[in-house]
This record gives sequence, structure tokens and C-alpha cells, in this order.
Amino acid sequence: MEKLKELIGTFDVAYVENYKKVWIKAKLNKASDLLGVAQALKDEGLKSLVTVSPTDFPEENKFEMNYFFEDLLTRRNAWIKVDIPRELDRCEIDSLTPMFPGANWHEREAYSVFGVKFTGHPELEYFLISQDYYGKFPFRKGFDWKAHEANLIENMNTIFESFENEHVENEKRIGHAGSRTMLNWGPTHPASGPIRLKVEVDGEDIISVKPDIGYVWRALEHLVEEKDFIGALVALERICFMDNTNSMLCYAQAVEEIAGKEITPFAAMMRVVLGEIGRIVSHLMGMGGFFNNMGLMTLFMWALDVREYFLDVLEDYSGARIATASIEPGGVRYPLDVNLLDTLEKAIQKYEDTRTEFYTIFLKNPTMKMRAAKTGIITAEEVESFALCGIVARASGVKTDIRLDEPYAAYDKIDMDYMTAENGSAMNRFEVLFKEMDQSMSILKQAIADLRRGIESGEYDPQKDHMVKIPKKLPAGEAISRVEWSRGELMIHLVTQDTIPPEDQSAKRQPYHDGRAPA
Amino acid sequence: MLKILDFFDYAKSESPWMVHFCSGCCSLEMAAAMGPRYDWERYGYIPTPTPRQADVLIITGLVSKKILPALLRTFAQMPEPSYVLAIGACAYDGGPYNDSVAVIKNATEILPADAFVAGCPPKPEAIITGLEMIKEKIRKGEPSAASQGGLWKQMKF
Repeated sequence: MEKLKELIGTFDVAYVENYKKVWIKAKLNKASDLLGVAQALKDEGLKSLVTVSPTDFPEENKFEMNYFFEDLLTRRNAWIKVDIPRELDRCEIDSLTPMFPGANWHEREAYSVFGVKFTGHPELEYFLISQDYYGKFPFRKGFDWKAHEANLIENMNTIFESFENEHVENEKRIGHAGSRTMLNWGPTHPASGPIRLKVEVDGEDIISVKPDIGYVWRALEHLVEEKDFIGALVALERICFMDNTNSMLCYAQAVEEIAGKEITPFAAMMRVVLGEIGRIVSHLMGMGGFFNNMGLMTLFMWALDVREYFLDVLEDYSGARIATASIEPGGVRYPLDVNLLDTLEKAIQKYEDTRTEFYTIFLKNPTMKMRAAKTGIITAEEVESFALCGIVARASGVKTDIRLDEPYAAYDKIDMDYMTAENGSAMNRFEVLFKEMDQSMSILKQAIADLRRGIESGEYDPQKDHMVKIPKKLPAGEAISRVEWSRGELMIHLVTQDTIPPEDQSAKRQPYHDGRAPA
Repeated sequence: MLKILDFFDYAKSESPWMVHFCSGCCSLEMAAAMGPRYDWERYGYIPTPTPRQADVLIITGLVSKKILPALLRTFAQMPEPSYVLAIGACAYDGGPYNDSVAVIKNATEILPADAFVAGCPPKPEAIITGLEMIKEKIRKGEPSAASQGGLWKQMKF
């Protein structure tokens, strides 16, 4: 880490300092230094650019660009900031996409919503936002959303027309000769999720694939800006409903860091329990979906059956099966009724009863092996250069897991290891999913034991310890928080100013970097 | 003659197929309703991948602006009579995204629904109840709400 600090210190920096245990935070004085710093960091081993996130400061008339670099092997991270002017025609910065391919979509997103131009970017097109916002840069402060929304029909027609134009252009470009055609896979294909792949095919051969996302774009960052930090939870937990507990956990950590509050050990352990349940219900859907996409519904049904038992636990705890709002800044929302642990044990038992069948019928399934073992192979180098995370990274043999790299909640008390596979194929990803299920069960058992022991010895008070008070008014500050959620790494960069609601927030998950590449 | 037609309505009502279209997060609870514990096949529902065979379209909560054209096209491809079930608060007024201005907040005004199930997300039992309401409508031979009006008829898609 010291070496990293020295390395960054050789450039013209306003400050360079340690941040948390695994981060170096630095601010460059000149935007022109960025490429040099990035190259130096890459040579040093920080080969992944996790995300690019601009913050808007209209009073100071500047954008602050935040770059997060990571070395997946030695777990060193660098957070580089640099200011650029705010005027539309002047806010430019060098693109890092040629150096770090993983920056591509993040830079395009920053361009679409803030209007930051990345010089040298190979295809700087609008992206993610719906077509009626093209060229309007909605996340800039002062953008009048209400005025924009007043003419809904007109806006919708813009969107319809853009789809129509796209179709006409494709027809012109591809023509009608031979068997060439443009196939839209998604956005509502049962296997696709909200992504559309524009697949150009010639008969059965795929010529090119171009992804298009934004079909569930809700401008959550904007929604969070409007609310105080409790109200923001509603938006935060809906980043993805599959695993909603971990996204709340991530946000809660960021708020606690800014408020400078520590949560109780009991709340930390409860966060582990809730986080793992979130992971399990999501993984079960993932496992089911894998075979569902292959045309076999059985595992999906079985997985849904087991999932219900875990949802029961969430329902007992919070009253809701999915939208639990159970983790909030300061701890967890509800006190613990000790009977809940029995329900949880029942759910674990249910999984373990079904596990052998999952294993023998599905994991050792010869058809699955034939179809998936050589499909969608991602090498460890690709994981690094595209900054992949979560299961996809681990299936390629890269040991990365935020629960171990930068332990949060009470994960430091838990005995666990990296769950990896070797080849990075679709089958390996399924294997890792399965291994992680087992791992989550073991974590849950350890957590239950710890909770029972703590409650019995009087160390934890389940009725009172669940929450410490966080002042409604947050001081001005800035924090980043990372958690390992079921679909990879979730990072939230929270900036608050001296007003009650968080003034600016950019929540970045990595939807582009994960994806369980099915067979 | 009338009786035979009644019988057809009855037969239709007992096996409504729904097009597998997930636009928002409520589709998770729709999946749960498909699953073993709630098992909507007991009531004759089955998801079908193509709109051409479907009787019911479910608006699963959130409708973002970008997905609306696809939603309307899917609905337009369904043979008459085609019914719409809206689930989740988002389908009614934007729900938790009511303050956000990047989503469609009047989805049911654009594409009127025959039944609406409240909740965020609604529980699987509630979704099945909503489908039962549609069954009732089919049995009576009532025309679907979307065929009677709605902003979707003025929109290009």
C-alpha cells in the first residue's frame, strides 16, 4: 500500500491518503495527468477499473470525477479524484476505455446522464437512459424533470420513433439478400431479464451482438437525492428485488460512515443473517433459471420450493416476503424474536434435505456438462480487464469476495473461504452458485450459533441492541461502501452536503459486469 | 346456440394463458405464484412465451419508458379477447417511483387493466385472486377494458 501511495504521490496531487484498510484515496490537480496515473496504476497491477462516477457541484462550477481502480489479486484499491469544468462544451476528460475495457459502459453512462465527454472513447453513444432524455443530461443539477415530463405523449413518441428508425436503418444496412437478419433477443425473453441483445445473424451464424440496456431504468440516483436517508431505502432496496437485503446493507454502511456511528455487534450479526438469506433466495432463482433456460423446469420448481422457506424467515422477521426494508442506517429495523432462529433452521434443513437431489440430478447431469462445460468461457485475464466480479469472477478462478477482502458487518467473525472454480465456463458458474449455497448455509449456522450464545450469555439484547440512533441531519461528507451481493460486487458512493437529504448520490452497481451467461 | 357460446366462454375462462412478459420486479412474485407452493396451474393458468397464444397480459409492476413500446406491441399481437391484469403499485401510479420521473406512472391509463392487484410486490395469493377476477370476466363474456379505450390507441408503437 505504501508503494502505491508513493507511486501516486509522484504526480501533481492535492492529497494522497489512506482510506479504510485497502484503499488509497488521492486527488489530482490536473485532469491531464489522469492517463499517466492510470497507466502507472495498471503497470503496478491495478488492472481493473471498477467504475467511473462523476459528482456534480454546481456552486463550485465543477464536476468531480471519481475513478475506482482495483487489483483483484492483491486486493489493493485506489480511488482517484479529479475536477473538470462543468460547462457543457468544456467538460471533457480523457477516456480510459482503451486502457481498461471495463470502463466502456461506465463512461457511456456518465456521458448520457451528466454530459461528460470522454475524448478517445471508441463509441461514445447515449446509453441506458430512455431516448427522450438523449442530449438532455438529466442528472445535472438544475435539470427540470417536471417540465420534461409534462409532455408524456410527445416523449413516448420520441422513443417509439427511435425504435422505428433503428429498425429502418437495420433494414437498409443489412438488406434482404440471403439469410441475414437482425434478431432482437429480449428485453422480455424469459431468460434475458431486462436486456436486449441486438443479434445480427446470417442463417444460424451470429455475426455480431450488441447489447442494449435501460429497460428498467428508474433514475434511482435522482430518487435518492430527493429523499432523506430513511426514505432512500425504499429506492435502494429496489435496485434488485432478487437480493434486496444486501443493497440496503451497502447503503446503510455508507450513511453510518458519514454519520460516524458504529453499529452494535448484535446488529452486525443480524446483518450477516439477513444478507445471507438475501443471497440464498437470489442464488436459488439463479440456479433454477440456469436449467430453465436449458428447457428443464424441474430445478426451477424445486428451487422455488426451497426459496419459499427462506422467504418465510424474511416474512416472519419483517412482515414482507421481498420488500423487507429490514436493514437501515444504524442497524437492523426490528428486534429479534428468538423463535425466528427456529424458522431459519427449518429452512436450512429443507435445503439440506433437497441438496443431495440437486447435486446428483443437476450438478452431475451429463447433458448439462455437454452443453455448458465449453460454453461462455471467461478467462481470468478477461475478468481483470473487464473488472468482473462476484460469481463470474470466481468461476474463472479469481479469488475475490468482498466479504473476505474488506470484511463488513460481522463477516470477520465468520469462518469462510473463497468459492472458486477453474475454467470460467457456464458450468463452472453453476458450480460456484451451488458451492456458495453450501457456504451460505454454513455462514448462517455459524451466525445462528453466535446469536444463540450471545443472547444466552446476555451479551446481546435482542430487544434493544438492534438499532443505534443516527441523527436525521447528516454532516457533509463522502463515503464509499462495498458489499458482496449475490450478483457480484455492489459499490455505493455517497456524497452528502449540509442539507437534510443526501445532496448527491451515485449508486453504482455493476449490472454490466455480471450476468450468469447461461448455456 | 347461446348455451354453446356460454360453454366456450366457460372453457376459455378455465384455461387462461398468459404471455410471459416481465417488465418489473413484481415478476418475482409472479414466479413464486408459478412455483410449487402456490401453483397457479391448479387454476388453469399457464405462461406461454408467445403473445399469439395468450389470453392475458400481466403488467408486472414497473413499466419503464423504454419497455412501453414492447409492452404495447405485445398486447397488440394478442388475439381478441385479450385481457390485462395489472399487479403492483407501480402499475397504478408509479408506486415507490412516484417521485421519480423516469418511469411510466399511468401504465393503466395507457393500457387499461381488467383487474388490479395492489401491493409492492403483491403476494402470490393476491395475484391468483386477481387472475380469478379476470376469469369471472371471461366467463361473463365481457369485453376487455383495453379494447374499450385507453391512451394506447393514440400512441405510435
